[in-house]
Amino acid sequence: MDISTLPLSATVRGKLISAGYTSISSLASISSSDLARDLNLLDSEAREILKVAFPVNGMDKVEGSHSIVSGAKNAWDMLHEDEFLTRITTSSADLDNILRGGISCKEVTEIGGVPGIGKTQLGIQLAVNVQIPSHCGGLGGKAVYIDTEGSFMVERALQIAEACVEDMSEYSEFVHKGFQAGQETMQSKDILRNIYYFRACTYTEQIALINHLGSFISEHKDVKIVIIDSVTFHFRQDFDDLALRTRVLGGMALKLMKLAKEFCLAVVLMNQVTTKVVEGSFQLSLALGDSWSHACTNRVILYWNGNERYAYIDKAPSLKPATAAYSVTRRGIRNSESSCKRNKMM
Amino acid sequence: MKPDTLLPANKCTTGCPILDQCLAGGIPCNSVTEIVAESGSGKTQLCLQLSLCAQLPTSLGGLSSSCLYLHTEFPFPFRRLRQLSVSFRSLYGQVFVDSSDPCDNVFVHSLPSVDELLDILPKLESFLVKSKSQLPVGLIVIDSIAALFRSEFENTPGDLKKRSSLFFKISGMLKMLARKFNLAVAVTNQVVDFVGSDNGVNGVRIGNLGCLYSSGRRVCPALGLAWANCVNSRLFLSREDNGVIEGDVGEGGFVCRETKRRLHVVFAPHLPPSSCEFVIRSDGVSGVDR
Repeated sequence: MDISTLPLSATVRGKLISAGYTSISSLASISSSDLARDLNLLDSEAREILKVAFPVNGMDKVEGSHSIVSGAKNAWDMLHEDEFLTRITTSSADLDNILRGGISCKEVTEIGGVPGIGKTQLGIQLAVNVQIPSHCGGLGGKAVYIDTEGSFMVERALQIAEACVEDMSEYSEFVHKGFQAGQETMQSKDILRNIYYFRACTYTEQIALINHLGSFISEHKDVKIVIIDSVTFHFRQDFDDLALRTRVLGGMALKLMKLAKEFCLAVVLMNQVTTKVVEGSFQLSLALGDSWSHACTNRVILYWNGNERYAYIDKAPSLKPATAAYSVTRRGIRNSESSCKRNKMM
Repeated sequence: MKPDTLLPANKCTTGCPILDQCLAGGIPCNSVTEIVAESGSGKTQLCLQLSLCAQLPTSLGGLSSSCLYLHTEFPFPFRRLRQLSVSFRSLYGQVFVDSSDPCDNVFVHSLPSVDELLDILPKLESFLVKSKSQLPVGLIVIDSIAALFRSEFENTPGDLKKRSSLFFKISGMLKMLARKFNLAVAVTNQVVDFVGSDNGVNGVRIGNLGCLYSSGRRVCPALGLAWANCVNSRLFLSREDNGVIEGDVGEGGFVCRETKRRLHVVFAPHLPPSSCEFVIRSDGVSGVDR
């Protein structure tokens, strides 16, 4: 079919033809960002062209038009969807229990705690766990890891990935007896390859990254988790104008929420703790202030209790407040040793 | 916008296989490592040794690069560096075949104040680009960061707020440089005595060790919680003195103190909690296999 049959404006048609796209089939295998580059158009405009050219193709377009037509979803449908909503396991059964199965997609979860409590470890663990294929009960997705502090260590990610691969092969042997290993087993190097790592050195870079995340993820649709470790670091310097900081942070949180909804992915933000003066005495609280605490749907606080690490659900609309112990082992995040002992005793 | 390819971090060896084993190869590049200890525990010793070891070729665990040593405590121990460099040279004779002196590749600069540090950090980039020696700079040592901040700031809320904002600024700049030039950054910090109850702000547990003991006292790293958020890894050097009396105390006798030193990993993204005993001798810092 010729391009001129499409209901496009003359200028766009002219641009398409001069760039060499004369037939509709020539547009079939091109991504919107490539098209945008070739035609010198905005990404959104290129997407429009592709939408016009292939009106029925693509799940998301159908979904989009559906939601515009019907205007709203009813709560019953949403509940139904929620049942199918996948969660990303933390590799600690106790932690998963209080989170009702893990970190949920479509939501923004904030994780805070003192230095050395295991925020980065949990981040790396989630970046690995999101890739557990569906036959092992996972999502089979990919991860975006935005590192603002420089704490992501590849050797540690490899260690956790190797442990995860071992666990998966054990699991599949257990579930499918005589499961033919070889065709679908993941290698730890594949796991590392599926973590898209970005390093942001200033807050400008961090915001720019988040602004571009939408187009990156629309090209890499299998990204199922975005981890920002930490969201705080760059915002604790050089911000004399706190009102401006609040606005910038608020805008960033909204974008992340939109991403989470749009692409059905989990957003995990790491936060630091700071001291706060309450009626003359010092208390620990998560950084970035009170207005930020509205920005995240779920909030998990990690803390020490004696020699054990604990996680506490501070805020979550659909979870009850609860605590669970966990530990950081060589293989990654696991149940706390003492709770294992307790279980054995019973 | 393109994701980075993940490469394992280079490490700068400490010059001792036992310590390296404890640290999984040494001080990582593209990362800020803090060394916390009370005075006389070996912070400076370890840093001086690192500054020499950075020159080793990568086959020997070094970075084959030079070192920038920013010192805030006076005087800089030139004589000790000299002493270390002589034994270092004889130890790695095959590396230093020509008459090059390892000291030539340690750039020393003094930092008497915080302003000086803030002044020098933006200039470092041009220094790193056109490094005068043949070896590029691969390691920055700041010894010590605490000395700057503990004198200049009052203990008032306003000053503390300004101080913590400066921490993040300094650490942000250091991390940016570390990232851009793949530098290893080592920063030393002092300790303060632990006063008060476990529940207070000072009692906030940071890292794997429940509490830090040095010289029989409970201590915590200086500069507080805000600074703890600024570093990637924290190492703690502790010392225990056991007074061992040798010789005749009465006349012309001497008291020889036996000091037990340990290196602890308080927190690090890539290391499990571990510790290792070490000694300081004339030829440098080395681990003890127990």
